[in-house]
Amino acid sequence: MNALSRGIRNAFRNQIRTIAVVGILSLSIGLSLAMLVAHKTVNQKIASIKANAGNSITISPAGFSNFSQVNNALTVSQLSQVSTLPHITALSETLTDRLTTIGSAQPSFFGDRSSSASSNNLTSLTSPITINTSGRGGRFFAFGGGSNIATNFTPPISIVGTNDPYVLNSQNLTLSSGSFINGSKDTNQAMVSTDMASKNNLKVGSTFTAYSQTLTVTGIYTSGSNQSLSNNIIVALLTEQRLSGQSGVVTGATATVDSLNNLSSATSAVQKALGSSADVTSSQTIANNTIAPLNNVSSVSLYSLIGAVVAGAIIILMIMVMITRERRREIGVLKAIGASNLKVVTQFISEAVTFAVLAAVVGIIIGVAAASPITNTLVNNSSTSSTRFNPSSSNQQSSGAGPVFARGGRGFGRISNDISNIHAVAGLSIIGYGLGAAIIIAVAGSSAAAFFIAKVRPAEVMRME
Amino acid sequence: MLEVKSVSKSFKSGDGTVSAVNNISFKIKPGVFASIIGPSGSGKSTLISLLGALDRPSNGTITVEGQEISSLNDHDLISYRAKNVGLIFQAYNLIPNLTALENVMLPMEFAKVSKDDREKRAKELLDKVGLAGDKQLRKPGKLSGGEQQRVAIARALSNNPKIILADEPTGNLDSVNGQNIFNLLHDLSKSQKTTVIVVTHDIGLAGKTDMQLSLKDGKLTTKGNVPKNNR
Repeated sequence: MNALSRGIRNAFRNQIRTIAVVGILSLSIGLSLAMLVAHKTVNQKIASIKANAGNSITISPAGFSNFSQVNNALTVSQLSQVSTLPHITALSETLTDRLTTIGSAQPSFFGDRSSSASSNNLTSLTSPITINTSGRGGRFFAFGGGSNIATNFTPPISIVGTNDPYVLNSQNLTLSSGSFINGSKDTNQAMVSTDMASKNNLKVGSTFTAYSQTLTVTGIYTSGSNQSLSNNIIVALLTEQRLSGQSGVVTGATATVDSLNNLSSATSAVQKALGSSADVTSSQTIANNTIAPLNNVSSVSLYSLIGAVVAGAIIILMIMVMITRERRREIGVLKAIGASNLKVVTQFISEAVTFAVLAAVVGIIIGVAAASPITNTLVNNSSTSSTRFNPSSSNQQSSGAGPVFARGGRGFGRISNDISNIHAVAGLSIIGYGLGAAIIIAVAGSSAAAFFIAKVRPAEVMRME
Repeated sequence: MLEVKSVSKSFKSGDGTVSAVNNISFKIKPGVFASIIGPSGSGKSTLISLLGALDRPSNGTITVEGQEISSLNDHDLISYRAKNVGLIFQAYNLIPNLTALENVMLPMEFAKVSKDDREKRAKELLDKVGLAGDKQLRKPGKLSGGEQQRVAIARALSNNPKIILADEPTGNLDSVNGQNIFNLLHDLSKSQKTTVIVVTHDIGLAGKTDMQLSLKDGKLTTKGNVPKNNR
């Protein structure tokens, strides 16, 4: 038996103490691991969101809201100067409007009665979105007679006129059938989502009405479970301008910049060119604003991680000080019969490492089990304030709303969606960190014990008699 | 030969110093069974600590087989203790969670004896002190006081030391067991030619040793051989 095995055996000398020590340490290690997982996961998410935010600039009319459709929209001629600016490689323009299903009650949005759907803004299509009519779902809509949702109400549908029909809400579209419309040609052709097609029994070649005109479905794009894509009709920009009677008007544009390095200067140049008539936001700014809650979670988890590790080190340090004080005579005897300081210190470090490894095994189980719930709770609590009014977030179903309501650009909804879509997984590397940290904590925690052991003189054992 | 020359040891106590051992000199030949007697506080345990290289004298020199141990550095002192000194304590001081066998093997581990050799020698020593069979695998808590002291003696003998120092080895034992342990130490000193120095309050036992050192207030008051008919 050597100093290491004596230390391991000593760890089980007092079973009640062993259980208590392992229990307390394992909680500390478990919390450390959960926080490490949360920190790592959130940081990966932040990096991913930033990377996916792209190098685009979102342009919207100053003070514009899709709810109110105020009359300060931008014009195609205003935006034409943007496409000539340095580093701008493409400019996608959109005109978005809201259509009401024929026969549906017509709500106003946030009390805006002046701009409610006119009799021309009607469509034969029905939104694929269902809302919870008994719960909070109707809080975005107001009806003249009271706050309850009318039984004949169906959510409004967005019609998007665009010169870039390959992208919607910053997401590349994939066709499940048919073909893309020509974004620069004024024809009564439209694309609808798979959800919309399914809801209204549409297929390529089917027709429907909007603005009292008959439109033909030429393509059906895949919307999957993304509701910000499903509740749309896509037509050419010129077509929407004609149908809605808003010739030359756009409600939003996205400029693509040649590289991320030029994004900031290009954003400034666009803002300067458009002056106060437009709000100009870069995708990175949107991403930064959106991930602010994640940054908070990252900080909280980091501080909690440090706190838990320090607590673990203090716990083992106090325990080892207590044990060495209790075994002062034994230390004196070991030294008296020929043990060096190193041998005795090694024995006590071995004991501390045994405690820590046992605690790490239990702590890893606790950490792995708690990592995901803790991360989700932190993220959800932190991001609630920034996403609760964003109908395109994942809880859209229960909050009952329509298409892209949030102001601030087409990419916003997708990024916000990404925040809550977070999965914390404790991988092997995390388990390795846990074991490594436990051993480091044990060795560091034994330092005070080592100092104490070095101070015990073998002659003391004679005076203890 | 153990030679102590003008050895003093003082400790700081409050503002002043206390002289525990004061200018002591004596010599003890190998194989001698010696005793140190004196009242409490006379410096017996301090003298044992100095002889066992557990502490350094404030003044004077201690020489064992021509090697001056009082000037050794900490590392050499540890090595010296492991190989040359066997210690026996009044309270046995066995490691409670090790078996009797493992306790006896412990000093040999510190002296870097191979595992097989130390196990073999530990068994032999325990047999020699009268602790045979399954008792060798018992932990100290499962042994009587006399048996524990036998284990302590076996442990002290494990590295074949030149000197065995026993501080009140019979103090916690009844008279029969005390006598047995005393006889065991006496026999060992003779059979192994090992110098054994025993601290005791028992004048009767001390009278049976080869040499008696009497201490009072840190000073050596009597030093001499005991007549053979008294042993």
